[in-house]
Amino acid sequence: MDVIIQIIASGLTLGAMYAVATIGLSLVYGSLNMLNMAHGALLTLGGYICYATITHLGLHPALALIAAALVCAFAGLIIYVFATLPLLRAENFETNIFIATIGIGAIIENLMLKSFGPYPIPQPLGISGQVVIGNVHIPVQNILILVTALILMAAVAFLLQKTRAGRAIRATAMHREAGQLVGVRVGQVYAQVLALSGALAAVSGVMISSIATLTPVMGGDPMLKAFIVCVVAGLGNVYGAVVAAIALGVLEAATQYVFGVRWSFATLLLIVILVLIWRPYGLFGRQQVVRL
Amino acid sequence: MTEVRRDIIIGLICLLVALLVPVVLGGRYIVTQATVFFVWAIVVVQWNLVLGIGGIFSLAQMALFATGAYATAMLGFYLKVPMLIAIPLGGLITVMASIVIGLACLRLRGPYVALLTLAIAQVMYVLIVNDTACFTNVSGCLPLFGGVRGIGQFGDLGLRALFPSKWYVAHYYVALALLAVALTFSIIVIRGPLGLAFKALRDSPGYALSRGISRFKYQLWIFGVSAFFTGIAGGFYAVHFRVVGPTVFSFSLLLSLIAMIVVGGMGSIWGPLLGAALLMLADEGMKEFSEYRNIGLGLLVTLFVIAWPRGLAGWFERLQTLK
Amino acid sequence: MAEPALMLNGVKAGYAGRIVLQSADLAVGKSELTAIIGPNGHGKSTLLKVISGIVRVSAGEISLAGTRIDGLRPDQIVEKGVIHVPQGDLLFSGLTIHENLLMGAYRTREARSIAERLERVFSLLPKLKDRRNQVAGTLSGGERRMCGIGRGLMAGGDLLMLDEPSLGLAPIVIDQIYEVIFDLRRAGLTILIVEENAQRIMDEADRIHLLDNGRFAWSGEGSELMARPEIIEAYLGA
Repeated sequence: MDVIIQIIASGLTLGAMYAVATIGLSLVYGSLNMLNMAHGALLTLGGYICYATITHLGLHPALALIAAALVCAFAGLIIYVFATLPLLRAENFETNIFIATIGIGAIIENLMLKSFGPYPIPQPLGISGQVVIGNVHIPVQNILILVTALILMAAVAFLLQKTRAGRAIRATAMHREAGQLVGVRVGQVYAQVLALSGALAAVSGVMISSIATLTPVMGGDPMLKAFIVCVVAGLGNVYGAVVAAIALGVLEAATQYVFGVRWSFATLLLIVILVLIWRPYGLFGRQQVVRL
Repeated sequence: MTEVRRDIIIGLICLLVALLVPVVLGGRYIVTQATVFFVWAIVVVQWNLVLGIGGIFSLAQMALFATGAYATAMLGFYLKVPMLIAIPLGGLITVMASIVIGLACLRLRGPYVALLTLAIAQVMYVLIVNDTACFTNVSGCLPLFGGVRGIGQFGDLGLRALFPSKWYVAHYYVALALLAVALTFSIIVIRGPLGLAFKALRDSPGYALSRGISRFKYQLWIFGVSAFFTGIAGGFYAVHFRVVGPTVFSFSLLLSLIAMIVVGGMGSIWGPLLGAALLMLADEGMKEFSEYRNIGLGLLVTLFVIAWPRGLAGWFERLQTLK
Repeated sequence: MAEPALMLNGVKAGYAGRIVLQSADLAVGKSELTAIIGPNGHGKSTLLKVISGIVRVSAGEISLAGTRIDGLRPDQIVEKGVIHVPQGDLLFSGLTIHENLLMGAYRTREARSIAERLERVFSLLPKLKDRRNQVAGTLSGGERRMCGIGRGLMAGGDLLMLDEPSLGLAPIVIDQIYEVIFDLRRAGLTILIVEENAQRIMDEADRIHLLDNGRFAWSGEGSELMARPEIIEAYLGA
């Protein structure tokens, strides 16, 4: 029983972090068919900005989190202006933006490496203390992460479902030209999506580094898992991604317990491949009918 | 026919120059660096086939390279297979691995392929690095795949014994021969029926499909056959350096290979080779700035994709049309 | 003819190296129903896309009530009151009818005028009201067309451009759709309609233009066209 509580508790925390990391990725893919390989680097950037503003500028942790989100939103805008926008006008957008963002990710990560060094740094944003359920001790930090993630997801859902801007994001994702015809300034929507995705990446980077540590390469693993979540849910399906993220988080906690940390990633991947053989467009994805 | 003739002429000139390098320049450092260049050139040329011609978003090329290298090393270390046999065997094992990966991935759409192949490479890396259990204790504890330190002492081609002072020149010529074969193969693919099939699939997918050109079948073909040369390159790499470790999975290596393809020109015959040569030279020339290497590579990749998506090969084509 | 609501002067346009519109001149009168007919693939849809800014003009001028609009972004052109209901509707298939209609009024921010337009669209197309919460991707062809026209009307523009409103519909549904279009015209809206089915609009249109191979080959009133059966036969094969 205690084991199950433990698995669920750590699985939910993991899943919530993956969900926040995934939403942005999924939103960007859903809106522009852009696979943002720099997403992991944005995560890292967010973590370091939070750290730097707390330790060097003495900012309040909540303000530091907002600062990190703003900086990464800005980074998302820069990616939009300098990479996405010119590439959208040319052919082969999907391949080219994919390769370009690999390059951008490398630039950001290595800038972090130059500025903060290769050694792990603890994230100063954290709360000590534990909650005891049965015989299981759950750190307050984990609960805080879970709550923050839930609030964030609810806010994103509200934005997408209930606001004019959110409706425009969804509509443009469904049909770009139709969006233009009803007067949506498509470029603006894309810029908003990339900025939002950057801000979400920053928050998830802060969360992840607050229970692990900050390193310049810390973004790689969560990004890969976020990709896996996206793939399982069906690329671009934001709500499916949240469900899949939490499911994978719990699954990862369980496989870590059963098979040990070493095999957890391999097990996840195996499951993903099986899912994709069963449903090549993801669990919640629909096959796009391509007219020839 | 003129295009093929041009390819043959360029190829022969390059080959001639390469044959003369050890004789004319001769320095050990240059020859060894050029040998390494040949290895990466093989990988890049084959990756270009997969990415630029086959349209497969594969990030598994380094995993395939590693498969070849590890298979060769392990055959030599555990089964005492002589390297002359182990390297081609490694190539075949790589082909089998690529077919398994291909069957799992190639029915999916582009970006899914990229993500899955990246994840597969990462899983291989994690499994090798996190393995600490001793598999043998012959000469100290060694995990099955060598763990973090990798596998060594699995024999070599025998060229070191044959030419004790000039073995590196011998390796140079072996690598050159491998590259020549790999490149010839890539020219045949690009100019031949397979290249035509992919061109048809790209230009008019519906008609191509209705004429019985199956994208999946051809993609699996190109993925599998290019894996053979990639695996052989891996095997030679292992033999040349006498050790193979998990560093072949490193991101900066992946990045520099992508940069070679992108700078040279994805999908062209000579572009990736040119890109590989230029970037290796740039690496040599800017050794003092090596801490900025990855930032520079990232900038190069981004800049080229955005400004000149067809790379240097695209420049040359434009020059030709101007004439 | 009254002062033209829309003027095209020597407009040339096309896609990636292929010129579709050679040199199009056109005047659309205010509150008139103007029809463009012509065989398939001769630039009718491109003409509308050029006006709404989706396809760029490579030469010539387009002006709306005297001001030039060529070169503007599609959203700016919508802002000026040009509505383009595209061929095949292009609905936002994952949104409900209600959300699709709200997207139609995207440029309008006042809740009151949005509510008024919604009321008007619902009274004109009552079927949409019954199905307002249904997802657009699950609608029938006729309902989709109504939703597309309704979405266009939500923008509250002065010029309505319809691209083949009868395409792919059953005759009885086509009648319903045209009923609505004629209602709108009676209410004073300027309408530019692209239609392959010339008979359908010959007697209602104020002016008919025949687009052939990227140029206007003939212009006149509907009754004139009816008197020239050889044109109909040569160009439209009917």
